[in-house]
Amino acid sequence: MNEISILMHMLSNKNNLYVIGATKSEIFHTLNVKTKNKSGHFHYLIINLSKYIEPLGLQIRYNPINSHWFISYDSEVSDLISANPFENKPRLAATLFCTIVCCLKNPDGISKITEIQTIRKKKGVIEDLRELEQKGYLKFDRNLNHINLTPLIGYQLDLERLFVKLALKIKQ
Amino acid sequence: MTVKDITHELNERIDDIQKKILSGDIKLLDFELVPLFDELKDSLTVQNLEKSSETYKNACILLNQKFDELRSMLSSLESEKQFLNYLNSNPSDLEIYALLNECWIELFTIDALSLDFLELSQNRLSIDRGDPIAIEHLRKGKIKNNFLLEIPKHKFTEKMMKFFNSIRTKLPCSLEDIFEDYTEQEVIYENFVYLLHLLQLGTLKYLKETNVIYL
Repeated sequence: MNEISILMHMLSNKNNLYVIGATKSEIFHTLNVKTKNKSGHFHYLIINLSKYIEPLGLQIRYNPINSHWFISYDSEVSDLISANPFENKPRLAATLFCTIVCCLKNPDGISKITEIQTIRKKKGVIEDLRELEQKGYLKFDRNLNHINLTPLIGYQLDLERLFVKLALKIKQ
Repeated sequence: MTVKDITHELNERIDDIQKKILSGDIKLLDFELVPLFDELKDSLTVQNLEKSSETYKNACILLNQKFDELRSMLSSLESEKQFLNYLNSNPSDLEIYALLNECWIELFTIDALSLDFLELSQNRLSIDRGDPIAIEHLRKGKIKNNFLLEIPKHKFTEKMMKFFNSIRTKLPCSLEDIFEDYTEQEVIYENFVYLLHLLQLGTLKYLKETNVIYL
């Protein structure tokens, strides 16, 4: 078994709903990487694995919420409609989007419920947030009136692509 | 005028730039790519067209990376304010829903695969296997030019009647008496077949109650 096999296993491993793949430090520990240029070696490994799995329609991704590297199907080959967890639920998707914006604009990643309600400008935001909590996308602290995102959305949504799309839309 | 082929050298430089980007030594946004393309353009000849195309492809990968970085940088500038402004413009749910389209990720996970399993599989794969069974084709035998199917010297009926004549004097007698003189199994079987045919034809008769063969 070589480094690529172990890396493939680590990045495709699902521990639970919120922990899929592995962090950089976990990879270093498992592979016993002790070289000086760890960062360069890490990129070398990721790029090599990426070359191996690319013909299979797979690609390596990074979840910025929990700093985990993981594997997904290439967006060109996967059925985007089936990957959408909010099919026929635009209202819930819109509330989630507002929550993402509110949480990510705060340095600690936590947003107040009132903040989301102000941006969303719709009735029934609390019900939407509860449903999103049930789906595992956020945690609801009712005592502190706080919301924070779970790592799940970082696995299911390409946040960088979303923000680029949004930025282009705003420019237009 | 001869132009020096520097495609190999340029490829090495591109590889070096990629390594430096990965190690964080340089930032692609600060790196000037125009001289690289200029050199490639100047070194282009009919002879090295194929090699130059490959180098051009590698240089374009760098250029695309630079565009991506630039795009990310531009999108991150005052993004918070812009996003909030966008949301304040009261976009419809369907508009936001459409924005999220093409951004969903289909995860790939292999829960059942363990390191032990992978190791076991590898060990199994590396076991020395015996040589596979060789399939040899049969050699075609030589055939005589005047091939004829060999047939018995005597016809079946002749043989049967010969047997009939040999037992005729014994009749009537029991079934055992007919075969008492024969010792070879093959002869007994052969003669028994004749006997059955004679019974079928009605030349001989058999009385089951007394086990007697008679005419």
